[in-house]
Amino acid sequence: MRYENKQAPEGINVSKVHPLKQFAILVIASVALLLALVLVLQFAGSAVAKRIPFKYEVQLSQKFDIALSTPDAPEEIVTYLNDLADRLAPGLDLIDDFDVQVHYREEDVFNAFATLGGNLLFYRELLRQMPHENALAMVMAHEMAHINHRDPISGLGGGVVSAIGVAMVTGRSGMAEQAFSQTSLLAGMQFTRQMESAADTAALSAVNQLYGHVNGAGVLFELIGDIKADSDAVPDWLERISVTHPLSKDRVAAIKSLALHNGWSEMGELTKLPDAFNDWLRQ
Amino acid sequence: MINVIGFVLLLVVGYLFGKYFEKRHYKSIIKREEQFNQLPAIATKYPPQDQVYQQQLVSGGVVIASDYFKSFVAGLINVFGGRVTPFESMLDRGRREAILRMKQNAQAHNANYVFNVKLETSRIATGRLGAIEVLAYGTAMIPAINPISAEQDQPSATPGA
Repeated sequence: MRYENKQAPEGINVSKVHPLKQFAILVIASVALLLALVLVLQFAGSAVAKRIPFKYEVQLSQKFDIALSTPDAPEEIVTYLNDLADRLAPGLDLIDDFDVQVHYREEDVFNAFATLGGNLLFYRELLRQMPHENALAMVMAHEMAHINHRDPISGLGGGVVSAIGVAMVTGRSGMAEQAFSQTSLLAGMQFTRQMESAADTAALSAVNQLYGHVNGAGVLFELIGDIKADSDAVPDWLERISVTHPLSKDRVAAIKSLALHNGWSEMGELTKLPDAFNDWLRQ
Repeated sequence: MINVIGFVLLLVVGYLFGKYFEKRHYKSIIKREEQFNQLPAIATKYPPQDQVYQQQLVSGGVVIASDYFKSFVAGLINVFGGRVTPFESMLDRGRREAILRMKQNAQAHNANYVFNVKLETSRIATGRLGAIEVLAYGTAMIPAINPISAEQDQPSATPGA
């Protein structure tokens, strides 16, 4: 008998797949799977969180013990902001146990947001740029509407549940920890465009009820539009698909259309801010 | 951000170096396989009867590590299932290299054949590290210089013995 080892042709035991092609397919499939998981968990978490009664949300937020207001914030501005919130409240279709606390932060940030437990944060730079009370009332009513729609708890619930889900899949707990952390609570929740549009609609109705017209309500969005036009060059179409807030010019248009549809007057006397308002916003 | 850059860098380094070393290894394997063709490694346990042979256990072992790119892609395949193709070439290289080293060992004994060849594979790294050891071993058939003394010293080479 003759024994021999003939040279076998190459590639029998190794699949002929280009590694980069395989890599691309796998990465795309994984990202799609992860996105689907996040969306489902976000939706589920947010739906469940929304069912937590508001009073428990308030109790929960008190446990975090975060200083929301700047220490020694001028009492006058805090009182004025809370009074404006009280005046706007009847115009919103309020949920049970609704209560908001307005906080003032002496930071040069052009922002205001609603967070857990009915807490609203207003930053100095935003207040400084308010031309009249009507514009401020629109912002206030918008943030109150977020609380009334339970958007902060629903955003947090969705965020935490999806972060835990992702952590379970990827084995990394960093994201879940971050979602629970105090800094992320302070930084404000990420609301969806639907939440923002619903808040705009409710806010406009409340402003109309308080002043009898909606004149000046769109000023904030025009201001945001101006600031954006000055600061960055992101094209409108890109911004429309990439940011959570509806585009400022779309919101101005939506306000006009809402006013027209509901027969709310866009003409009317603008209410001045208190004379000492700028003095309260001390440096 | 630094984590992402580090990760991408590891993937690129893993892919480029892994591909380079694999190509170089295959080139060397094919060349040496041609050289060792005259020393067949046979899986049967029934040795040739043409002459009297001394028998000697010979083995060849190799440890091959996976690169970062291969490990990452294999990890993703673990999610979806299917053939873990990145490791196929690694194992193929391991088996062929182990057999070549075994033959080299046999050649050092002036063997004509290696019979009853067996292969064993084991994972030697834990966690994220991927490295395998492949061991090839068999019975080297060395033509006896003095057949009579060889028959007395060695167990019979007849089948079934």
